[in-house]
Order: sequence, then structure tokens, then C-alpha cells
Amino acid sequence: MSKFKDVFVIDDDKVFHFIIKKLFSKNNIDINPSFYLNGLEAIEKIREKINLGVTMPDLILLDINMPIMDGWQFLDEFRKTRTTTTTNGQTIIYLVSSSDSISDINKAKEYQDQVKDYFFKPMTLEDLRKIF
Amino acid sequence: METYNYHDLKILEEKNSLYKKLLFQSPDLIFQFSISVDGRLTFPFMSKSVITHFDLQQEEKSKDAYTVLRSKIHPDDFSKFLKSIQEAKSKLKDWNHEFRAILPEKGLRWFSGSASLEKDDEGTVHFFGKITDVTHFKEQELKLKLSEERFLFALEASSEGIWDLDVASNKVFYSSQSMKMLEFDAKDRVDSINLWDDRVHPEDKNRYLTDIQLHIDRVTPYYENAQRVMANSGEYKWILSRGKIIQRDENDKPLRIIGTHTDISAQKEKEEDMIRTLGIIGEQNSRLLNFAHIVSHNLRSHSGNIEMLLNIIAEETDEDFIKESFNHLRTSSKSLSQTIEHLKELVEIQSDLVQKKENLNLSAYLGKTLDVLAEEIKSNKVIIQNKVPEQETIVFNPAYLESILLNFTSNAIRYAHPDRTPVISYSMTSNKYHKILEIEDNGLGINLERHGKKLFGMYKTFHKHKDSRGIGLFITKNQIEAMGGKVDVSSQVGIGTTFKIYFNE
Repeated sequence: MSKFKDVFVIDDDKVFHFIIKKLFSKNNIDINPSFYLNGLEAIEKIREKINLGVTMPDLILLDINMPIMDGWQFLDEFRKTRTTTTTNGQTIIYLVSSSDSISDINKAKEYQDQVKDYFFKPMTLEDLRKIF
Repeated sequence: METYNYHDLKILEEKNSLYKKLLFQSPDLIFQFSISVDGRLTFPFMSKSVITHFDLQQEEKSKDAYTVLRSKIHPDDFSKFLKSIQEAKSKLKDWNHEFRAILPEKGLRWFSGSASLEKDDEGTVHFFGKITDVTHFKEQELKLKLSEERFLFALEASSEGIWDLDVASNKVFYSSQSMKMLEFDAKDRVDSINLWDDRVHPEDKNRYLTDIQLHIDRVTPYYENAQRVMANSGEYKWILSRGKIIQRDENDKPLRIIGTHTDISAQKEKEEDMIRTLGIIGEQNSRLLNFAHIVSHNLRSHSGNIEMLLNIIAEETDEDFIKESFNHLRTSSKSLSQTIEHLKELVEIQSDLVQKKENLNLSAYLGKTLDVLAEEIKSNKVIIQNKVPEQETIVFNPAYLESILLNFTSNAIRYAHPDRTPVISYSMTSNKYHKILEIEDNGLGINLERHGKKLFGMYKTFHKHKDSRGIGLFITKNQIEAMGGKVDVSSQVGIGTTFKIYFNE
């Protein structure tokens, strides 16, 4: 059983969606995540949730390099959304990226109030244990 | 008839002797020189100083004046000397003449002689006069002339202009070179200081006045300022103006400032060129860095996926699941090849140091591109407005030109606005350095405030579109810059986008 109920996976790589599903099931993580191909799709869903008055996702695995709205832009939008709504939701966000560029890693530090950790792809079993 | 008594005569005699003494002892070179009717020249009187100054020996004094003059006056000047005497004599007018003499002790000296003439009853003409040694002045004059010539020659050779400001009157002497810089007739001119100051570029004026003030206040040892000055054609030239106060009044206020003007337009142009080039190189560099990150990111991402999928396949027993995994494996493998293909493409542009350049007919190449895209143009009902002159040519790499035109055109079709007929128009303009191709569409437009910095980045797409790959503009920009050109974009969301491609002239 998982402590997380509502999980978002935001990544433009569909193969990654498949892999993460498989990774969860293989490790007995009983979660059926919602998949979004970019930040905008996810933020639209979150706005919808706010309008409906339902809770925020409690876990987000967020890619950085995505078309239309990348991971950083998503974090900026998400911050705005959270501060302008009273809907309670303790959302934990992890960055999951193939980027090992110093600038991305440094930037992740600027967002440490929102981001709990930064995982490099491919995700390992140890990474999963840190999350769950 | 006048009569004198003895006493009077005595006084006269005394006076006469006093005058003689005075004249003889005077330090001035005083003489009386006479030409008789039969042409004989004599010196009835010369002061002691003449004798000593000209080193006249006892025997020379007794010789006739012609021989004395002949022996002392410089051979080159002698005939002119005689001529001047003859002239004065015939007109009975004051004699004024300059000549050189060679003296045994002092060597070559310059003299200036002057005399008043008188003719006596016997027809003898007398010169009463004075000789002055002007060697010192002559030397100064010669030195001045030499230095002036040297100065003028230096000015001409260096093409620098000279200005000389009289502060009280605000009048400036502008040398012919300075006037030439402003495209006036190349003649020296004295005019108001405003002739120059009114032409200084408004953006450069404050700095110019400040720099002068700093020198007036003795902060700087001389004044120096580079300024744009408008020539008669209306074009601005870069002039380096330098100057120094050479005279101040008792209150330390400047009275006179002299300086130079140097046309540094050519240097400035080179400098601007260099800054432009540096900017492009800097951009290219940062894009390459970005490119390296993106490529490493994508390679890692695809190979990571492949690794994970292989693990899944190895452990999985469910046939359907294995099948799905293989599908994903295929996708990942394809993506990996594509990334490598892009990498190859980019490396080719960047490493091809001697890219082939040819004179290309832009209009013909555009026609070719439109032919290639004919099917898409037709099916999307795109209106093409080709305003590129038929004879327009550019120097460019042919393969790059095809790729660039194809990319911009297919982008314009792909991101057409769904609510209206797509119109793409092509036109040419130019500036000092470039021919500019403008490609304007009435498509979706791009939010440049948000995406502007990343527009030409790799794998950036700004539209929700199935075909967006985001590699095209990155490649295009690199190809344009590899040819020494640049690309600009202006866009409004919902209105359209204009790309400007700058081709080097």
C-alpha cells in the first residue's frame, strides 16, 4: 500500500509513462498515476480540481525538459495556483530528469521550497524507496 | 647772406666735432656712401662699428668702395646688391636692401641696409644710412619656416584637421582637412564654433561638453572626445577631436584652445563589426553549450529507457506485455537514432569551416521551395505572395538556402491560423550591411515575451501540434550564422509572425 493516493506523472516521454507504471507494479506500489505530457496539461487539471473543490495531487513526478510548458514554468504556475486557493493539499514534488546539467541542478535548489528531491533518469529502486 | 663771427664759428666747430664723434663712436653701423657722376664708389664716412663689424683692414679702407663691397658681399648677392643701389640712385629714393656678407671672423652674416639719398651740385649721389646685422632674425625666420613646412607636411600626410578656438569671440579656425570631413570645400575657414557643435550627434553632445570642461578645469592634461558629427550629406562621421588650452587669462579662464580632428569612421566601423561578430560568436557558443546539454540529455533519456525496457522484457513472462515493451523499445530506438541524426546535422554545420558559398538567385530558390511544398500549399489553401525581385542574388551555401526557405515556409504553413486563409509573403529590403529577406505570415503567432529567448533553442516547440519537433529553427539559425548572417523575429499571438533573414552583402 502507498501513502499517496493521487499521483501526477508529468513527462513528455510516453515510454517513461510505461516504464514508471511497470516499476510501480513490480515493486507492489499500488498506485494508478495520472499522466500528463507537459506542464500545461497538468496545470489545467489542477485548476479544474480547484474549481471542483477537490484535493490537490499529493505526489508529482515532474520532468524538466518538455514542450509547451516545461517543469520550471509548471512550478511557477503551481506556486501561483496554490497561493490563490484555499483548497488544502500537501503536495510533494520530485524532479525526474535526464538532465545532469549544472544549471538545472542549481535551478532545482532555487525551487527547494517546492521540490523535495531531484532524481536522474533512469529511476532506480532506491529512488522509489526514497519516495515511498 | 649769412655771416658768422668767430665765436659762432667756434661753436659750430665744436658742434661739428661732437657730431662726428657721436656718429663715429655710435654702436650702430652708420655710413655715407657716394657715387660720383663718373661712377666712382666711395665711402666718405663709416662709423667705427662698421669698420670693426666688417673686419675692415687699414689697406681695405683706402681701396675703392667697389673692391671693398666685392670682397665682403656674398658672390650670389653681389649683383642684386649693385642693382638695388642703381635703382635707388636713378629714382633718388630711399634704399632698402637685404644681403649676405662673408666676414673673415664671423663667417656668413645677414645684413639689412637702409639709406636716404641726396644729390649734390656736382651730381654725386650720397647714401646716408645704416646697416643692421639681422642674422639672428633670419635664422629664426628660417627655423620657423622649416618647422611650419614640417607641420604642414605632417598634417597633409596624416589627413588630420586642425582647429583653433578663440574663446572670447567663439570663432574657430577650421583647417581645410576639418572642412573636408564635413564635406565642405577643402579650404581653411574661420567660422562660429556652432558650425561644428550644431552637427555633433545629440547622444554624443553631453560627453563632448563634459570632456572639454574637464580639461578647462585642469582635471585632464588635454581634451579628447570621439563624437559623431553630421557631414553635409546628412551622414554621421566618427571624429576623434583632441585639443589643449594654450593660453589662459589671469583668472585661469581659457583664451585659446588648439586641437585636431581625426576621421575615425573606418576604425569605428571595424570596431562595430567586431562587436557584432563577437555577439554572434558568443550566442553560437552558448547555443552549442545548450546543444551539448540537450543532446546528452536526450541520449541519456533514450538509452535509459532502452535499458529499463530490456530489464522489463527479461523479467516479464506475459506475452502481451512483452509485445508492448518491444513497441516502446522500437520507439526509443527510433528516437535515439533521430537524436544522433540531429547531432550529425549540427556537427556538420559547425565543423564545416570552409562552407561553400555561391552567388545564388534567391527568387529561383524560393520558387524551388514552393514547388517542393506545392502539395501542402494546395491542401492548406495557402496564398503565396512572392515579392522578391527576379534578379535578386545572395552569396550563400545552396544546401543551406534550400533548407532555410523550406523550414520557414513549412513552419508558416504548419502554424497557420485555423480561422483564416493562410497568407505567406516574401519581400526584400536592405540596410548598410545586409540584404534582408522578410517572410511574413498571418498564422498563430508566438508569444515572444514568454518564448523569445528559447525560440531558436533545440527541441523547443511552442504550439500544441502533432508535428512539432523543435529542431528546425535551431538548425536554421545555425546555418544562417555559419554564413555570417543573422535572423530576427517579430510576432503577435493571433496575428502572425515575421522572420527577417539578414544575408551579408
